Amino acid sequence: MITFLGYHRPDGRVGIRNRLLILSVGGLTGPACRRIAAGLLNAACVVLPYEAGLVGEDKAAHDRAALGMAAHPNVGAALLIGDNPQVLEHLAAGLRKTGQRHAVLTLDDCLNDVFLLQEKAQRLGAEMLREISRDRRAPAPLSALTVGLECGRSDPSSGLVANPLLGRVADHLVDIGAVALLGETTEWLGAEHLLAARARSPETAAAITGAVAAREQMAVAAGLDLLGRNPTPTNIASGLSTIEEKSLGSTAKSGSRPIEGVLGYAETPATPGLWVMDAPAYAPESLTGFVAAGAQLMLFTTGVGNSYVSLLAPTIKVSANPQSCTRLQGQIDFAADRAFLGQVPPEALTEALLAEMAAVANGGLTWGEILGEGDEVVSRFGAAL
Amino acid sequence: MTHAPENLPIDAIALAPEDNVANVLHALEAGQVARVRRGDDVREITVTQPIPFGHKLALESIALGATAIKYGTAIGRMTRAVAQGEHVHIHNLTSARAAKVQG
Repeated sequence: MITFLGYHRPDGRVGIRNRLLILSVGGLTGPACRRIAAGLLNAACVVLPYEAGLVGEDKAAHDRAALGMAAHPNVGAALLIGDNPQVLEHLAAGLRKTGQRHAVLTLDDCLNDVFLLQEKAQRLGAEMLREISRDRRAPAPLSALTVGLECGRSDPSSGLVANPLLGRVADHLVDIGAVALLGETTEWLGAEHLLAARARSPETAAAITGAVAAREQMAVAAGLDLLGRNPTPTNIASGLSTIEEKSLGSTAKSGSRPIEGVLGYAETPATPGLWVMDAPAYAPESLTGFVAAGAQLMLFTTGVGNSYVSLLAPTIKVSANPQSCTRLQGQIDFAADRAFLGQVPPEALTEALLAEMAAVANGGLTWGEILGEGDEVVSRFGAAL
Repeated sequence: MTHAPENLPIDAIALAPEDNVANVLHALEAGQVARVRRGDDVREITVTQPIPFGHKLALESIALGATAIKYGTAIGRMTRAVAQGEHVHIHNLTSARAAKVQG
């Protein structure tokens, strides 16, 4: 059994990092939060630029995402900063239920003086950092992980080798009782019948095909030609011809196990196993949906290269494109090109990728972390008031 | 298509035995004989058009309107007939799925 050393949280989850999160709940305090985080060792800053006037699904998704990130197992403590005391109190109430260490600071607390906000937050953050730095890692099974499966700037090597490799890892995660998450709804298009056939229940099968149909309708209503949008020009230049071809390669990331259910954006799965999230395919939004759902680690395949990573969940970049593996050595964390070139059987890489996941879970840095590439971006669904 | 020895490097790969297209593992020239692994079989096919790295090669003739198969599943229908050894891409293959959406 593969184990790693992680941070055991009061809610039972296990973190693979122990970050101080500076969370700007709303855009008014965003620039100040970036300055505050810049002055605190290895603090993670997430700015939710939207707040007042969010309604309906936007409000619900932002609330889920804010709580999901503040309570995230990779976050040791969260400093919540914003302009709306009611919104912050609601978030703090959610955090109290999880046992997450946190502090709240509003513009009102600081007499609407951003200098005062910065000074108070810096002191609070420094104290919180000092406290969480005393936490120690302890052994945990790999089954404690929730892993997000993503692909971006794909080419045929993604569908032939890298994504099936993730699929075998996903099968292993499901078999040991971990959680695997597949998103990118538009990349189920053309493969949804195969996903629906793996649904645990008829309701889930209907939700999978319904989610694809809803996004198709969204595209049609917007007057978009899905053919012209996806595959993207980058995909087409690399040899992907149709959305079916891209989707079949993309959904190979999910492996072969049953699909437990369909999550809304930023929703947390109720049980272990493979879950799909009905979410936009664009990586910044997609990865934040997984983070909010509790993913501590991401597996992200690319064909021609894609430097984007999650801020809160270390993101292992996997490529099977020999040119990318050679050219982008400071981006690709796990090179699978030997399988693409037929030098090793593809199955031989499964154990190696699981070992890399354990190494990163233990604290080994990904290229994205080293370069500071991470960000978190919450999806929007409609206009604000 | 002829059977070929197993121990030489391959030039193109198709994961499922029923696939009628394969992805090339490096750029191929017209006239080149490509070693293609399809499922567990390795065969040789003469390439008739240049095929860029990662793009698809027709493993057999595919008629106009017929289905291109990769991963054992339809990936679209032909907008032009292709012969074995030709390049298969957006100039002769279109989505059957997305076309229905616009229908």
